[in-house]
Amino acid sequence: MSVMGATTLVQTELFQQLLDSDEGELSTVCYRPEGLDRLVQQTKFSKKELQVLYRGFKNECPSGVVNEETFKNIYSQFFPQGDSSMYAHFLFEAFDTHNNGSVSFEDFVISLSIILRGSITDKLNWAFNLYDLNKDGCITREEMTDIMHSIYDMMGKYTYPSMKDSAPMDHVDSFFQKMDKNNDGVVTIEEFLETCQKDENIMQSMHMFDNVI
Amino acid sequence: MAAGVAAWLPFARAAAIGWMPVASTPMPIPPQDKRKAQDGLIILNVSGTKFQTWRNTLERYPDTLLGSTERDFFFHEETNEYFFDRDPDIFRHILNFYRTGKLHYPRQECISAYDEELAFFGIIPEIIGDCCYEEYKDRRRENAERLQDDEEMDMNNDVTPVNLTFREYLWRAFENPHTSTLALVFYYVTGFFIAISVMANVVETVPCGTLPNRSKEISCGDRYALAFFCLDTACVMIFTVEYLLRLIAAPSRYKFMKSVMSVIDVVAIMPYYIGLVMTDNDQVSGAFVTLRVFRVFRIFKFSRHSAGLRILGYTLKSCASELGFLLFSLTMAIIIFATVMFYAEKGSTASKFTSIPAAFWYTIVTMTTLGYGDMVPKTIVGKVFGSICSLSGVLVIALPVPVIVSNFSRIYHQSQRAEKRRAQRKTRLARIRAAKIRGTNAYMRYKQNGLLIDSLEEASKEAGQALVGKAASPPFESQHHHLLHCLEKTTNHEFVDEQTFQANCMEISVMNKSGSRASSLSSSPHGLSSCCSRRHRKKSSFSLPSTNNQELSTIQIRERPVVNSRSSLNAKLDETVPLKCDEPYITPSMVSLSAPVVTSSDGDSSTTTTAYSQSNIVRVSAL
Repeated sequence: MSVMGATTLVQTELFQQLLDSDEGELSTVCYRPEGLDRLVQQTKFSKKELQVLYRGFKNECPSGVVNEETFKNIYSQFFPQGDSSMYAHFLFEAFDTHNNGSVSFEDFVISLSIILRGSITDKLNWAFNLYDLNKDGCITREEMTDIMHSIYDMMGKYTYPSMKDSAPMDHVDSFFQKMDKNNDGVVTIEEFLETCQKDENIMQSMHMFDNVI
Repeated sequence: MAAGVAAWLPFARAAAIGWMPVASTPMPIPPQDKRKAQDGLIILNVSGTKFQTWRNTLERYPDTLLGSTERDFFFHEETNEYFFDRDPDIFRHILNFYRTGKLHYPRQECISAYDEELAFFGIIPEIIGDCCYEEYKDRRRENAERLQDDEEMDMNNDVTPVNLTFREYLWRAFENPHTSTLALVFYYVTGFFIAISVMANVVETVPCGTLPNRSKEISCGDRYALAFFCLDTACVMIFTVEYLLRLIAAPSRYKFMKSVMSVIDVVAIMPYYIGLVMTDNDQVSGAFVTLRVFRVFRIFKFSRHSAGLRILGYTLKSCASELGFLLFSLTMAIIIFATVMFYAEKGSTASKFTSIPAAFWYTIVTMTTLGYGDMVPKTIVGKVFGSICSLSGVLVIALPVPVIVSNFSRIYHQSQRAEKRRAQRKTRLARIRAAKIRGTNAYMRYKQNGLLIDSLEEASKEAGQALVGKAASPPFESQHHHLLHCLEKTTNHEFVDEQTFQANCMEISVMNKSGSRASSLSSSPHGLSSCCSRRHRKKSSFSLPSTNNQELSTIQIRERPVVNSRSSLNAKLDETVPLKCDEPYITPSMVSLSAPVVTSSDGDSSTTTTAYSQSNIVRVSAL
């Protein structure tokens, strides 16, 4: 997805001149995505699927962009028992490809296209991108620990068997044991891809959400 | 989970890809999305206003009418839409609920209409969003109060049922003085005596001039001791009799004795009896004198006579927490300031602030801005704190008072509304009665027309001519009347109007009197003298299904055990069957246009007529 769809800022300049001093930031910005056809080209979704996706998107985010707060809010509604804010934060970082603090519909749909309709390599790349918090090409232990904590936080307090504090750490250890071939304390993209492609479970689960839309 | 967020579920599932590489166990199999239903548009035609929405939107809530297969009943094939014959304005809100997941209550809509629509579409009102929930609950409560008021009014109608026992009659007379003249007289007499008693207590203590051999002024009470004693005795006797009567008449004596008014009554008359019992024993006479203070409680007996006083009492009760807070904060402030003043004035000579409790008096007088001046601070520090004390007093007292006032105002307005409703009730009843009479007359006319047509038909059949039947009334009404006619034929009874019935009643009563029959039909002691007076008694067994019918049928059936009436009737089969004048069965009104009434009047007529099924044609009471 090298072509980053340019979101047309419809009359944003005008808006900002009119409303700059008074309104908050969100109300001056109103993104409208590029045409449907262009999106169909850029992603692997059909026209109908994009329509359904956009309707849901616009319902929750009438301004056309999602900011992190809304993102966290929406995601937390699916996990009422636990605290999903950290994981949602990491997800947001992964979706926000332009790093401008907001996710437009294009970004959203392009990322979804990768996750749901991309090749295995693309999917694994995306997952690696998610784990690599500082985007430096390798996953350190600290990064992995953060990710693991955020996943375990979503479980909440009431689990069976009850959550031990060391559970995330143990999981991180096993992850590094599996992935880190040269034992240098970090997992690079090559190590990651190699290990995952050899693991049958992971391969199978990657295909699980192909029919989500 | 809000319905709108359901659209993001695919995203949430996609985001789960982040868990896959770290998971060490295989994932469960995803559910098969069997129905890849095409998301189509549905047209909802509500009384001509067309609404359209996606099928998926409606199916978010499958346990409502629109979300389930129940809507198929409303499918209109010619136009390929779902047609609902309901209010489009309210439907708008219902459809919004599907779209946004939040149900709102529009303020300008009537609460009953709204509730009906919700019930029709299978939506529980409890899911109304927080923004509108308070308003909805308030309106609902008001509506319920209004209905309850109306029910109570039905209970307290101005015509007394004869068959109350003496006890119930007495209780009724006490609770509602307007029910009979005797009760009203009693009411005024007791009021008068309360006033007399209170005034006597007051005048007793007024100095009445000196006796010749004494220098001290003597009070009127001592001077005319006998007169006052007689007056007191008379008042107390009246009060005692009243209390005993109330105790006898009370339906639940224990509850009555617990009630506030009865306690006041007892406290008002107790001192007298205790005084009688205790003779001139000097040791206890001191205590006895204090008991006389309780005689002032007689003034509270006035609260039975004044609604305003009751409202005040009720307000104070309902503001108990605010009053408690007021008291608590005052106590705190008093203690603080008294302590401060005591220590401030400790240094000054001949200070009146001898102790902290002594300083309490100063603090209270200052905080309530009374300022008697019997205790004043003399040191500068004392004066400074004294001024702070008076300033703070104003604040502390001013704060809870508006709450109490607003409570009082709310309760007062509520009672005013109740009064207004009661006043309007009379006109409403008159309107209902007029409608009833119209219905009856329409039916009479129909029957006349029918008979006319029948006879004409026969005549024309003989003459061999076709007759054009003139149906003056609309088809619905004519069918209704035909139905009633069929019922008449079935039961061998006829419907008559009020005047005819009363006329017949009179005739029968005359006949019976001359006939000198033991009136076994009158099982009530009042017999025929109260013939044809309408009896009202609410029978819950005959509660009509919808509340607006209840409104209409204010004159309700009094249900007699059918066995009784039938047996007593059977005894009379061989004579001209008299009307059961003392038990008129008055059927609810046949308000012509509302469909539900058809069934209810049917039901009424049948209960009426089952009692008479074995008799000849007896004119029963009017529609």
